[in-house]
Amino acid sequence: MNGLSNKSADPRECLSDSSQEIPPEPLYFRLGDYLAGVLTGVLTAFAVRMVVGPQWDMVVAMLVGMTVGMLVHMSLLLLFIPLLGAFEVMMPGAIIGMYGGMLFGMRDSMQQAYVSWSTALAVGALFGLLVVLGIRWWDRQLRGVVFARPEPRRVA
Amino acid sequence: MPFTAREKWDWLSLTYDLMTFGEDRRQGGEKRRLFAKIQGRTLLVSVGTGNDLRYVPPDCNLIAIDISPRMIARARAKARRDGVSVRLVLTDAQRLAFADQTFDTVLTVCTFCSIPDPVQGLQELHRILKPGGRLLMFEHVRSKIGPLALILDFMTFLSRRFGPDLNRDTVGNVLQAGFRLQREENVYLDIVKTIEAVR
Repeated sequence: MNGLSNKSADPRECLSDSSQEIPPEPLYFRLGDYLAGVLTGVLTAFAVRMVVGPQWDMVVAMLVGMTVGMLVHMSLLLLFIPLLGAFEVMMPGAIIGMYGGMLFGMRDSMQQAYVSWSTALAVGALFGLLVVLGIRWWDRQLRGVVFARPEPRRVA
Repeated sequence: MPFTAREKWDWLSLTYDLMTFGEDRRQGGEKRRLFAKIQGRTLLVSVGTGNDLRYVPPDCNLIAIDISPRMIARARAKARRDGVSVRLVLTDAQRLAFADQTFDTVLTVCTFCSIPDPVQGLQELHRILKPGGRLLMFEHVRSKIGPLALILDFMTFLSRRFGPDLNRDTVGNVLQAGFRLQREENVYLDIVKTIEAVR
């Protein structure tokens, strides 16, 4: 046991300065977020189009699309998390994979004959871009103090 | 066969720095701002590979713990490399090897997503803090926004097998353990937060 008693406490205080400013987000992360979203959208649209056939039942196509989208998203997590951070990749990626996969699945079951591959992939890219834009906007709205009580008096 | 917490984090120590590379750079400023509130004798719970030691103010009276010997070994190497003065102790956050009312500040960084019984762990921190001592936390929690919470619940089903839970109510657990909440601040959406509480 590594027991330490409070009698042995060192009275030194840390040299602290709690008034530090947070540096602005580097451009690398901003661009990376959008690129990751676009790539996730394109690959989800591609994978769903490969799997879902024309004339599929729309509900089945939606569920299969969602599953395929989530698999694409989770595969890309391993690539993007080290570069961009876990939650910043996971939240938009899951929305693109899950909801995008559902939408693309429904579309491909009904309109595969009328929507070209290039259009399908472009819509995937646009969807990814818009989701990242929306999440980043939402983050700016939510970021900051949720609750703050006046500083307590410290007991010596 | 399921891993024990120690085995799991020993294995994760191999890829930990790689997987947290982006996160560290993205949220380093927020961590530095939180760490600047450290006062007096301080315990850093779950030091991991020691990435967060760089945010500790100079001349800090710091003890850092972890449940994983491999994490401790990596943290020790980084502390030596960066010239950080810290005493590293191998112990379980749910059964801390410190006397009551030992510390002025307890600091946690993405810790209470991983501790098997978070309320028990927080009660241990409550025990070792001096009256009026501060708990400073940088944690991720379950979102209160329905669609995001569903995603976190789904991801937790997978992530808890090899890493942390993503859907803990850490603010609620802090209150349940007997702390008084002083400040709660969102760092990313309402998922990554800084939480400040006092004993």
